[in-house]
Amino acid sequence: MTRLIRGELLKIRTTNTWWLFGLGALVMTGVALTINSIQAHFFLKPFDDYLSSTRRRGPGDLPRGRLTALQQEWAANHDVIGQAAKIFTSGQFIGVLIVMLLGILLITNEYHHQTVTTTFLNTPHRTTVVLGKLVTGVLLGAFFWLATTAVNLVVGSIFLHSQGCDSQLAPSQVCGSQLAPSQVCGSQLGHWEVIRAILLNLAAYAIWAVFGIGFGALVRSQLGATVTATVLYLAGTAAGRLIFELIHTFWIDKDWVLTAQVVIPSVASQVMISPVKTFEQSPQQWVGAVVLIGYGLVAGVIGTWILRRRDVS
Amino acid sequence: MPDGQIVISGLTKQYKQVRAVDDLSFTVESGRVTGFLGPNGAGKTTTLRMLLNLVTPTAGTATIGGHRYADLTDPIRTVGAILEASAAHSGRTGRNHLRVICEVNGFPASRADEVLDLVGLTPAAKRKFKGYSLGMRQRLGIAAALLGDPGVLILDEPANGLDPEGIRWMRELLRGLAGQGRTILVSSHLLSEMEQLADDVVIIAAGRLIRQGPLDEVIGAMSTDAQVRVRTPEPEKLTAALAEIGATVTPRGDGGLLVTGAEAAAIGDAAHAAGVPLHELATQRPDLEDVFLELTQGKAAIR
Repeated sequence: MTRLIRGELLKIRTTNTWWLFGLGALVMTGVALTINSIQAHFFLKPFDDYLSSTRRRGPGDLPRGRLTALQQEWAANHDVIGQAAKIFTSGQFIGVLIVMLLGILLITNEYHHQTVTTTFLNTPHRTTVVLGKLVTGVLLGAFFWLATTAVNLVVGSIFLHSQGCDSQLAPSQVCGSQLAPSQVCGSQLGHWEVIRAILLNLAAYAIWAVFGIGFGALVRSQLGATVTATVLYLAGTAAGRLIFELIHTFWIDKDWVLTAQVVIPSVASQVMISPVKTFEQSPQQWVGAVVLIGYGLVAGVIGTWILRRRDVS
Repeated sequence: MPDGQIVISGLTKQYKQVRAVDDLSFTVESGRVTGFLGPNGAGKTTTLRMLLNLVTPTAGTATIGGHRYADLTDPIRTVGAILEASAAHSGRTGRNHLRVICEVNGFPASRADEVLDLVGLTPAAKRKFKGYSLGMRQRLGIAAALLGDPGVLILDEPANGLDPEGIRWMRELLRGLAGQGRTILVSSHLLSEMEQLADDVVIIAAGRLIRQGPLDEVIGAMSTDAQVRVRTPEPEKLTAALAEIGATVTPRGDGGLLVTGAEAAAIGDAAHAAGVPLHELATQRPDLEDVFLELTQGKAAIR
């Protein structure tokens, strides 16, 4: 098994794919980190400052509804722990997409380049081959997590320290307890919620890699699998949320309908890592984790089953 | 070399539309070169892929040294297989392709360099696979098959796409490998190549076994009467002389004669006695191609 995984890792190392994808992940992490930091910078200000920063034009009366909406948004995000978690997990949205694509390539490369014959001749037990690829996928996910988290930790800590100590900062809404002023400034890495978010982000990277392997087994064509997965991931997230909104508006006017959005895999991974609500009706973090692990297991089992049965000709 | 007898027993593969292999049984003896012959679409590749656990049989078994491929403890050290030429990642170098196989099987990376040298690919070792010619790809495939120094080699159309020099190289290599006592099962369309190389032949058509046995026996069984090709400026005189020794003469289209019922020596003596000059006198034996075409006649149709 160890040899098999080392072989798989060597397969990845000996082509250009890994560093091209890695570069993409790092660039996208940088972009996300910048956006998240700028947002955090404004959300962490007192409401009046936040209000003036969101309005380009001079002082004037806002419509009442707009003011309430802004207030709610600020209140939900004026939480240094939540913002820290978001900053330290920057780039997840594109990062897990890239890891999923790498997972897809782990399988579809074998068919695209007809190396699957050699692979199965070397290891006739196909379950072992798939297990090796799953472990390799998880290791790859972990590697990408490590690289992006390292960037996030260094840049994010510097940013959070630069924000200074604001005694006005609201107590964490996650803990529900009052925090001493010393706890509301700095990197927030002493808080379990933040560490948990970073660790759950690792789980997200690993599960999405497994997801990609299952998908690659399902859709053997390299182009077909990568394009379908990317479109489903990017457009599917928006389309899925829209469908739930429509059901909620026109059919079943209950909050659980919106909560059920968590069944969309990309929503689930956001819910899983975020200590604050990602949307108003979002369920607990563990629900996101269960959904995502469920998908990962299903994808892994289906992928193994398909590869075991399929003739190589 | 360990026992490498290959036993195919009742092997059947039913695809949706077509029965590619139909209750096929034959054995490949250890330490011999066996040519696996059949028209296009006869089921050769499917049979080899079932033998190697790549395609699941509908029925029947295929074993190597008594074990199914999937049950071999050390498959790469037991069996080397070349099934298709273009089978490496186009962006990976030839050497790295072999290194991956070494890594998976626990061979040192130096083994990759050894087999590269063996197939003459050392100068192109660090070039990417997409830059390889068909001949180089075939060589890399053979290098991969030889990594584990296996006692059994299974090759599917190894000469496909090779130029004359490549074909000669392949023949010499396989001869050398066979000389070391390895079991070799090779499918091919090049019947003259097979005639030079094979000890035994297995001929299949439409998924069924047509004939199996040592090459000489298979050819010998077909040659009921040896024919002798004769050319003379006086055909009538010769025909009369040959009728006296009980031989039958059939005129050939090109002015020559085909004689049955007499050996070449007897024909020569009779012509000499009758004072008939001979310009050609040659015994015509059926070769593998004749036998193959006769055996598979009408069975090569597209199914």
